[in-house]
Amino acid sequence: MTTDSRSSSSRTFVLVAAMVAVLLVGAAAGMLISTASTGGADAAPGGDSVDVGFAQDMRMHHLQAVTMAGIERDRTSDLELRGIAFDIESTQLAQSSEMAGWLTVWEQPDLPAPGAGHMTWMSEGGTHSHSNGEGGQTTGAVQRMPGMASTDELNKLRKLSGAELDVYFLQLMLRHHEGGLEMAQYAAEHASKGYVRNLADKIVKSQEAESRLMKSMLAQRGAKPLPLS
Amino acid sequence: MASGTKSKGTNKPRGKTGSVNKARRSVVGSARKPKPWGMILGVIVVVALAAGVIGYALMTVHDKEKWVVAEDNQDPSENIDGVVRVKYDSGQHVTAQQRVAYDHSPPLGGPHDGTWADCNGTVYPKAVRTENMVHALEHGSVWIAYNPDKIKGKALNTLKAKVEGQPYMLMSPYPGLDKPISMQSWGHQLKLTSATDPRVDEFIKSLRENQYQNPEPGGRCDSQDTGFDVTNPPPFVAEKPDPKDPNTVGMDGKGATQATDEGGMNTGSTGATPPATPPATDGTPPASGSVPATQPSQ
Repeated sequence: MTTDSRSSSSRTFVLVAAMVAVLLVGAAAGMLISTASTGGADAAPGGDSVDVGFAQDMRMHHLQAVTMAGIERDRTSDLELRGIAFDIESTQLAQSSEMAGWLTVWEQPDLPAPGAGHMTWMSEGGTHSHSNGEGGQTTGAVQRMPGMASTDELNKLRKLSGAELDVYFLQLMLRHHEGGLEMAQYAAEHASKGYVRNLADKIVKSQEAESRLMKSMLAQRGAKPLPLS
Repeated sequence: MASGTKSKGTNKPRGKTGSVNKARRSVVGSARKPKPWGMILGVIVVVALAAGVIGYALMTVHDKEKWVVAEDNQDPSENIDGVVRVKYDSGQHVTAQQRVAYDHSPPLGGPHDGTWADCNGTVYPKAVRTENMVHALEHGSVWIAYNPDKIKGKALNTLKAKVEGQPYMLMSPYPGLDKPISMQSWGHQLKLTSATDPRVDEFIKSLRENQYQNPEPGGRCDSQDTGFDVTNPPPFVAEKPDPKDPNTVGMDGKGATQATDEGGMNTGSTGATPPATPPATDGTPPASGSVPATQPSQ
């Protein structure tokens, strides 16, 4: 009598314990599934990472190309150049917005800090050198990124018209594309996020193709490229 | 195992082995009469239920994720039967006078006109010059081409509804198409016979603006002031381009123009003045420059 009731109560206990164990296992599996599907373990790159440095510097570099292309698009009378300017303007604006989106999610400023200089993310702790924006090499911060136009150059572009405008636009944009190449190539190899490497690689490929095109257009117009800054 | 723990708790601690042995004896003794079928069945039911729920959850997640473009799922169209894939270099431009000898019909990538066909959910009633359509693919659009003799009425409306007003979509008749429908994305093609085939949507989901498959996703689709008039686009040419024509450009971006110029001889295309572009020195197609684009006049 006592033995029977005791064994039946222990049986109930075992059953309940087994059910609880199964539920716990189920809950654990469920959490694993949701973690895997939302990428919960995906940490944001830090402020001194290649990813953040590239996104901030390349975004700033791109925005100047958007400005220059906008000037050409509004002012040229050459249909083909207007198309290329429109193409560059919209593609680089879309890319810079994509980079701003990453930076927002990573909780980082969407542009480089004022006065901090550029391209230190390419230094690898001072052991790797890059263009200093003035024709030489450095392992430290750069005040003006390679290929960037000065205010005077931009103002000159704004005042020109006709064939002179087209040639000067091609010269500035070609130099700009070639200047940004080094940063994009570095990020395509060294960024930690696959989607950052993917965009950097895309920038390398499309800007190399556009550079070849602009070189041939300059040659057609009997003009020479500007030296790389 | 749970019963062992329990017995240990109720009995006075008398050393591990002793208590376990005693517990075992009591359990065996009481369980000898009936086998606990109820409990075994209960556990089996619970386990089966849990396995079912987990399996269902995994399947649902996988089914949704299958079409989501991600770093570890860069080409969801691999889940679709019948997709043709080719790798192409991007950024090779030709002029409005030139034609590209494409390797597929319709083409799914390669050199293209410097001006893109408007791709803001644009439904073209008439066939459009192919070289412009390919540039729209480079910007991440999906182009639905159809054979106007095969796709009409309801089928045509079904396709139109998937395109009209949809960013990065465009659709046009393609006379002589070997299948009723052919969908193109940069480097991808899927030929279909029915407008209601579920693969139409799957192709769009997988490839439109896919950042891993398109060279310039996010490129512009508007065409105002570019010379491409969406209300009167440059017309489709059915004949294959003549490889001897100086205005024909190959898939490598090299045109007959360069070949003849570099060889210093004229192929005899009767007095045809080659475009006023010097040969490109680095394998890029010559850009139009001084040649006015033959876009439809306004």
